[in-house]
Amino acid sequence: MPELTAFNFAVLVSFGVFIGLMGSAMGIGGGIFMVPFLVLALKVPIHQAVAASLVAIVATSSAVAAVNVERGLANIRLGITLEVTTALGSIVGALIASRLPSAAMQLMFALMLFPVSALMFLKGRRPHKPAEAVPAGAASVFDSGFFDPAAAAHMPYSVRNMTPASFISFFAGSLSGLLGIGGGIVQVPVMNLLCGVPMKAAAATSNFIIGVSAAASAYVYFRQGVIPLELTAIIVVGVLIGSFLGIYALYKTRSEKLQLVFSALTLLVAVKMLLVSLRAL
Amino acid sequence: MEKDFSEKKFAGLIQRTLLAGVFLSAFLIFSGFAFIISGSAAGAPMLRAGILALLLTPAARVVMLIYGYWRGGEYYFALASFVVLGLLLVSALV
Repeated sequence: MPELTAFNFAVLVSFGVFIGLMGSAMGIGGGIFMVPFLVLALKVPIHQAVAASLVAIVATSSAVAAVNVERGLANIRLGITLEVTTALGSIVGALIASRLPSAAMQLMFALMLFPVSALMFLKGRRPHKPAEAVPAGAASVFDSGFFDPAAAAHMPYSVRNMTPASFISFFAGSLSGLLGIGGGIVQVPVMNLLCGVPMKAAAATSNFIIGVSAAASAYVYFRQGVIPLELTAIIVVGVLIGSFLGIYALYKTRSEKLQLVFSALTLLVAVKMLLVSLRAL
Repeated sequence: MEKDFSEKKFAGLIQRTLLAGVFLSAFLIFSGFAFIISGSAAGAPMLRAGILALLLTPAARVVMLIYGYWRGGEYYFALASFVVLGLLLVSALV
């Protein structure tokens, strides 16, 4: 564990602000950067890093979701339905993680970062389109709509393929509990590509969901006493500042360029993490 | 949804619940650091309470969903919310 000097305090708060801003901009919890940062830069044991990351995800999700729900961006009916399998998966993931040795977890985390990097790259390369209104088909209880400032119009949309989406959400939840990522990196493309939810609503709904999935895993770590109190509290302060700043500063920002930058960063982190974990095996 | 409990009111309830949890947690964490800096032994328990308050925020939000959907007559979603709350309870006990 790092000594909590004024310098480390400032670094942790700043990093928390960065994670909070990212959560607001991209609808993901930031665990894919937080866990490697804590493990590689601050030498925090990976189980503690995962636990701290999960608490930070709850912070960014709660802060951002509060505003997204009020703006009508988050689809609550869709969110609560997918939360059932996501929460189940995240409990299973956390229980598996508590039985895994650190080196194995680090290796799994590194291997998971490669497809994440590829996903971000593909998302970033897709040209930006304003949300498109989906023509009314067979109506479902999950159908919703939101006001898109880019198109200056209300965008109704239909939701489809809920059964496969629920199964994949179990996998997203497992990743959350196992590796301390919120699962947004899986949830957003699933809702967008499989369910037909426009990107902005998918990001907001994912942000809504990851609070519960991260909390479900975090309870397991909390009971086991794995959460490093001071370190986590400092990060949470930064995350909350970043989330609230991001909500208002980044509402109309396009996240495509950010995705490309983060894709390259994730790839670098993946290589570094893989080398460290292979050395530890 | 019932007319007297509109989508807007429901969204407002969820928003207030989430914000209350976040601000309570921030208050406890800041107080914890203030105690730690002043050398008081109450610092660590306060930080623990702050993190616990944050972790309970999504559960409180799920409770509000049960209430809102039940009151609005959308029993399918009230049941889904209830199952999620049950899972959160299980995760706190395992």
